[in-house]
Amino acid sequence: MLTWHTVCSWLSYVAFLVAFGSGLLFLLQERQIKRKRMGALFHRLPSLGALDRVNLLAIGLGFGLLSLGVFYGILGQRTLLGRWWVDDPKVYLTLLLWSGYFLLFLVRLRSTLRGRPVALLSILGFSLVLFTCLGAGWLLASRHPYKVADASTAHRLRIAGQ
Amino acid sequence: MRQRPTGYGSRVNKTMHIVVVGLNYRSAPIELREKLAFTSEQLPQALARLRVEMGLRESAILSTCNRIEIYAGVPDWQQGIPRLQHFLSSHGRLDHHLVTSRCYQTAEPGSVQHLFAVASGLDSMVLGESEILHQVKRAYAVAKEAGSTGKVFNVLFQRAFNAAKAVRSQTAIGQGCASIATLAVELSEKIFGRLNRATVVLVGAGKIGEATLKHLVARGASRLRIVNRTADRIQSLAQSYAASLVSLDQLQDQLLDADIVISSATAPAYLLRQTDIAQAMRTRHHRPLCLIDLGLPRNIDPASGRMDNVYLFNIDDLQELITQTYQQREASLSHSRAILHAKVEHFLRWWTNERSRCTPHVPSVSELVAVP
Repeated sequence: MLTWHTVCSWLSYVAFLVAFGSGLLFLLQERQIKRKRMGALFHRLPSLGALDRVNLLAIGLGFGLLSLGVFYGILGQRTLLGRWWVDDPKVYLTLLLWSGYFLLFLVRLRSTLRGRPVALLSILGFSLVLFTCLGAGWLLASRHPYKVADASTAHRLRIAGQ
Repeated sequence: MRQRPTGYGSRVNKTMHIVVVGLNYRSAPIELREKLAFTSEQLPQALARLRVEMGLRESAILSTCNRIEIYAGVPDWQQGIPRLQHFLSSHGRLDHHLVTSRCYQTAEPGSVQHLFAVASGLDSMVLGESEILHQVKRAYAVAKEAGSTGKVFNVLFQRAFNAAKAVRSQTAIGQGCASIATLAVELSEKIFGRLNRATVVLVGAGKIGEATLKHLVARGASRLRIVNRTADRIQSLAQSYAASLVSLDQLQDQLLDADIVISSATAPAYLLRQTDIAQAMRTRHHRPLCLIDLGLPRNIDPASGRMDNVYLFNIDDLQELITQTYQQREASLSHSRAILHAKVEHFLRWWTNERSRCTPHVPSVSELVAVP
């Protein structure tokens, strides 16, 4: 269960990295077009349409994988600690991340937003991914991942949670 | 006796010189060039004449709208060049002096440098254009088909194609577009990717607008609409491109479906105001819209170019981009020439080696004395 949680979560981060990359390239290419500059960058970068499609696909895939990761995480937590919810900064950040990408996917799918704003939000979203992934352990007092050495530690954690 | 093949394996004539005789857009006016041009039907016959009447085993004729050039392998360039000039004037049935006064001619290494520069687009009217390489390839293919190429010309032309490829891939000489129509197509492709699903709306029937439409169709655009005040004037244009005709008062509705709008109408006020475009963008869920305003005075409110997902280019923007293209190409000219210089040197080294291999060994006096 926890293996699936880890695999799905990391794959979602990879998809969000792709969304970040395509968003960044979109902004660069759009800047070239809007400023009427046809330098080497203009010729080498793909079309805005292609970058927008990759961005949408990556956000959709990443959101799906993150949802699976969260689902397996909750199940694993229940098995390991005996409860559905753990009061941990990383869990809150993941919830924020999931909600953010859910909204981004929704507005892009419904075409409420398109192009430059979506590209900017993809970049912003990935900074939250980085913070959730790396920053939470260092800057916030997160205990995630919960390393359970033996049954007695698990028992202590269960008691501490009650 | 079996005839010697004229491919890569044939022998190199050690006394041969590669010469070029020709006229181009710089040396001769179009009135003269059009009389001297060779049609594709005339080329095999002309090559046969060079082979039979002038005894040239290797030759090729490059005939385009901007240049007519004969590349030939001659035993003596001082005699060969005037004979080729005479061949040209007799082909065009023109006064010999008139042709020679407009001709340029050179033997190797100048002729080799010239061919390499021509194939790379460095000698073209539009610097760096790519069509000339296809034309040189066609000229070579016709000459090969006619049996007018041997080992030297096969290697010479292959090396010229290789040099052109190196120049185009290693420098910016071929980058960018040199006309408004091709530029508009390139910009559209950089916004939408492939154009086969793009809906194109042409407003007005100006010449540049039509040329842009033609290029967009050539790149796959098939959903075409033409808007004009009077339908009669553009009936034939719509028929030739299988486009649907729309009246001017329906222009606002067309914005909902259009991907590319090319406007080249003559109108005293904006045909598309920013508020119209902003409203259309909301209805069309912010799908990207490329607006190419070729009108003078302008047909589209310039403020609309600041909106997200709206890409507006007016005639000045396009001219500025063309200037940028020329500047980029001119900036890469010295690098291109350096590449060509190395390629020409490489070919000449090969040719010198080939010629020296064919030269029979003549023993020196000391060698003869040393023999017991």
